[in-house]
Amino acid sequence: MRRGVLAGAVLLVVAALPLYAAAPSTVGLSISTLNNPFFVDLRDGAQAQAAKAKVPLTVLDAQNDAAREASQIEDLIQKKVAVIAINPTDSNAIVPVIKKVNAAKIPVITVDRGANGGQVAAHIASDNVAGGVMAAGYVGKRLNGKGNVVMLEGIAGTSAARDRGKGFRDGLKKYPGIKLVAVQTADFDRAKGLTVMENILQAQKKIDAVFAQNDEMALGAIKAIEAAKRQKEIFVVGFDATADALAAVKGGAMAATIAQQPKEMGRLAVEAALKLIRKQPVAKFTPVPLKLVTKDTLK
Amino acid sequence: MGHPAIESLGVMTTQTPPADAPLLQMQGIDKSFPGVQALHDVALQVRVGEVHALVGENGAGKSTLMRILGGVHQRDRGEILWHGRPLEIRSPLEARAHGISIIHQELNQVPGLSVAENIFLGREPRRALVWVDWTQMRLRATRLLADLGLSIDPRRRLGTLSVAEQQLVEIAKALSSEAELVIMDEPTAALTIEETQRLFGFIRDLRTRGVAIIYITHRLEEVFSIADRVTVLRDGQYVSTTAVADMTLDELIRLMVGRRLTEKFPKETVAPGEAVLEVRGLTRAGVFEDVSFVVHHGEILGIAGLIGSGKTEVAHAVFGADPIDRGEIYLDGRRVAIPSPSAAIALGIGLVTEDRKRLGLILQMSVRANITLPVIRTLAPAVFIRRRREQALVAQAIRDLHMAVTSPEQLARNLSGGTQQKAVVAKWLQTHARVLLLAEPTRGIDVGAKVEMYRLMVDLARRGVGIVMISSEMPEILGMSDRILVMHDGRITAEFPRERATQEAILASASGRPPSAV
Amino acid sequence: MRFDRAVVHAALGHLSLTPIRNVLRRFGIAIAFVLLMAILAVLSPPFATASNLFNIARQVSINAILAAGMTFVILTAGIDLSVGSVLAYSGAIMAGVLVSSLPLLVGIGAGLALGALLGLLNGVIITRGKVQPFIATLAMLTMARGATLVYTDGRPITGLPDAFVWLGEGDLGWIPVPVVIMGVVFLAGHLILTQTVLGRYVYAIGGNEEAARLSGVNVTVYKTLVYGISGLLAAVSAIILTARLNSAQPTAGSGYELDAIAAVVLGGTTLAGGEGSIGGTLLGAFIIGVINNGLNLLNVSAFYQQVVKGAVILLAVLLDRRLR
Repeated sequence: MRRGVLAGAVLLVVAALPLYAAAPSTVGLSISTLNNPFFVDLRDGAQAQAAKAKVPLTVLDAQNDAAREASQIEDLIQKKVAVIAINPTDSNAIVPVIKKVNAAKIPVITVDRGANGGQVAAHIASDNVAGGVMAAGYVGKRLNGKGNVVMLEGIAGTSAARDRGKGFRDGLKKYPGIKLVAVQTADFDRAKGLTVMENILQAQKKIDAVFAQNDEMALGAIKAIEAAKRQKEIFVVGFDATADALAAVKGGAMAATIAQQPKEMGRLAVEAALKLIRKQPVAKFTPVPLKLVTKDTLK
Repeated sequence: MGHPAIESLGVMTTQTPPADAPLLQMQGIDKSFPGVQALHDVALQVRVGEVHALVGENGAGKSTLMRILGGVHQRDRGEILWHGRPLEIRSPLEARAHGISIIHQELNQVPGLSVAENIFLGREPRRALVWVDWTQMRLRATRLLADLGLSIDPRRRLGTLSVAEQQLVEIAKALSSEAELVIMDEPTAALTIEETQRLFGFIRDLRTRGVAIIYITHRLEEVFSIADRVTVLRDGQYVSTTAVADMTLDELIRLMVGRRLTEKFPKETVAPGEAVLEVRGLTRAGVFEDVSFVVHHGEILGIAGLIGSGKTEVAHAVFGADPIDRGEIYLDGRRVAIPSPSAAIALGIGLVTEDRKRLGLILQMSVRANITLPVIRTLAPAVFIRRRREQALVAQAIRDLHMAVTSPEQLARNLSGGTQQKAVVAKWLQTHARVLLLAEPTRGIDVGAKVEMYRLMVDLARRGVGIVMISSEMPEILGMSDRILVMHDGRITAEFPRERATQEAILASASGRPPSAV
Repeated sequence: MRFDRAVVHAALGHLSLTPIRNVLRRFGIAIAFVLLMAILAVLSPPFATASNLFNIARQVSINAILAAGMTFVILTAGIDLSVGSVLAYSGAIMAGVLVSSLPLLVGIGAGLALGALLGLLNGVIITRGKVQPFIATLAMLTMARGATLVYTDGRPITGLPDAFVWLGEGDLGWIPVPVVIMGVVFLAGHLILTQTVLGRYVYAIGGNEEAARLSGVNVTVYKTLVYGISGLLAAVSAIILTARLNSAQPTAGSGYELDAIAAVVLGGTTLAGGEGSIGGTLLGAFIIGVINNGLNLLNVSAFYQQVVKGAVILLAVLLDRRLR
């Protein structure tokens, strides 16, 4: 019994030692929120790649709080990690923090969301505008250039909402026969996607397609459309290709989703970090490929 | 404002102010609120340097009249002459500017601030316009308090003072504004006998300095010890103004109630029965020590003592509201444990609290809900409250106690003080209490209601209830008790049977002087 | 002569004004609600259709049930900030039990039990630990949210049985099931508050806690119970939300506590406790729901929506206070 405790203690110390000793090659990853499956996937991708390359990876969750993110990154500076990969909660709020990291001479990588200042060695993100255009293209073709479309927007003022909305509107310009009959925010939230879509269904008697700026809202909207028994006339396109959304596409409830590839994004972030540690050249911007996912492409 | 007659009168009198005009003259004052004529043709005349008592039962219009004088309400009709000249008082600020200062019954104070800050609230001495001159403020506060004979550190937080001390601070505050007329609304309600005497000394001092005082009180004895003249109001109408020296207490009461109260204290002698409540060695460290007494069925036991003597705290402890450190309690000879008020209620003990608004009633609930609160469980044998039975009980209580309510659904906060007190007593009639602890049962209620409260106590005693009456009012202690205990500094210092109790003896024991001095 | 006129005037004023005043006083917020409905009916034709009104009722049910529990808490002069997180945690446990193919009632029972337990825990911390309700329930808000994330690993739990989903989407006759649940909750709440000892004690504690204690009310027990009710009703809301989304979301219910408090206060219950009614709360919840629905129907842009929503709530309360 006592030996067991002793062995446990030794194990703990041994386990802790490399973390401390190997600190110079540790990669820090600050994630805006792990409340969202997308970022959980991103973390999983990063952790898989780190495990493969045998690099210690410290993941921190800022819980969508810019102040918390700042202090967490300050902690990472104190720990003297080799590279800090940041998924900012806010592109502006992160700038002073990045300047601090710069001052500590630790290279910075931004992931998914960019920073509006400071020196960033590499930016890894999918192109949200291109994704919006991709969704518009799919809707336009499937409707043969004619019909009524609804867009559910993300949290007002976020860059993802802005870029995806811009891309979608730009893409629809090629199809003058398509009318955007309602644009409402549902805050990237499934429950809100449901109620907002319910309300839109009350107001709009003819809808052919819905583009939701993320899958959570799309899944909520699908619930509303099914409850109104209008799923035969309306198809829904989401964004992000989360596990739930992929299942919905497979089952036919969702027509398509734009696959961001969060795991790939996490993998690429760690890969870029490794290159920086080894002083190898890194591209300033690494676009993570987007994919249109439909039932056909899933086969 | 809109009274051409008065304005023209004003122009006239401005030319030739009468040489020996009284300080204040209010004539033909009318004031009505929606549905109520609060004042009708009321007059009041106050001379320079006199103490003028203003008395009347609750609802007689004293407060309304003073609010008009203080600028809180505007009169509908009538005139106010100040030094013989018409005066418009449109706001409390104007009243103060004219030299009229009011000491309120409810203290308007900030407990979190220091004594000095409270005294100078809103008119702090300043330096360079923006900075508070703390030194100056502290100095002036110390001087004012010393004038009142108080040794309170002006830096102390007001909330740490006793209620009586806070009251005196409020008085100091009013005096600091150098008023010509000071209105005191029940200033002694929370004061001990000594503090009251000190206040009276101060009032006399003010009088010699030419300051006039309007003194409102329910304690009619005070009228005779401090006032020069007394004005009586009844039902919103002026009754009389008389020199105090020319009248007796009985006459004053008759003027107030409009009928002669045959007996002020309707005490009947009852042969006490077996002991119902016995307390042995009750101790709460730092509050009271080794308190023992017995109350018998049908007996009224009076407990006298100054504020801070621990008399109220003993009642709370017996009721299970405060914890005790040591001591035993017996009910009808059986030892009982009373860990909570609900335990006390189950055993048949009731407590009429000292502060009915803060502790006795739930002001935003109806009279009905208040009266049945202690017994509501028994009215709901299954899930739902038996509405009919509840209403019947309440109707009975309202009849029995002659409560002046418009309906059982009237909110407790809209009742007069006397009716509120009856409602508190009505609660304990529902529980059929064997022992009733009454703390200051007649504080702040008018003469008529007081007598009714005394009758109620006698009636309860006749039915075998053991009553413990805790009171700071010497007349009712002497007039109502079968036996009297006196407390000082947390201990019982004397016991007197009814026949042998005198005001002097009780006062001596209450102030801790050895009984041999009596 | 002057005197007579004044008396007549006073009497007339008394007679003619008081009844109207009383009506306005009692139904101020109802009048605000009817006004809002009328304006929306004019501005948007689909608003006043039966299908939209049922749609609103279904949407309102979640916030309304949370607000029902909140009414009990606020009547005792407390506050419960944890309802949104408790909703999420109960929903997650419910879904977790159901996807492991245990019987429906076991899943629902587990969720309801958890909600009530967390609420009672709030109550014990507040009454025994003497912690301010604001702080105690704020701590619970954080802990329950964290526990939800741990339990779900930050992912939604999906694949719930059809019988469960029916609770969120189905109809009983022609009434949506969530609306039926809401009706039962409010009827029970109204009866408890007006006809039972518990209700009487809730008002007494909120009106004057010390006076209630001195009247023999076991304040500790009843206050604890009230937070338990709030937790239980958060779990009832969780049934509806989880069933409607056919999944338990780790972020479900965040921010819901503020909508619930707003509904209670709109309904005329004072934050100081002791005064108010659960019927008013229902009306308050409907006002918020109608605003959300109306803004969507009118296709108001996201930026303006928040401004309009805040302004309408403020106007409704101001109208109510002015009429009192």
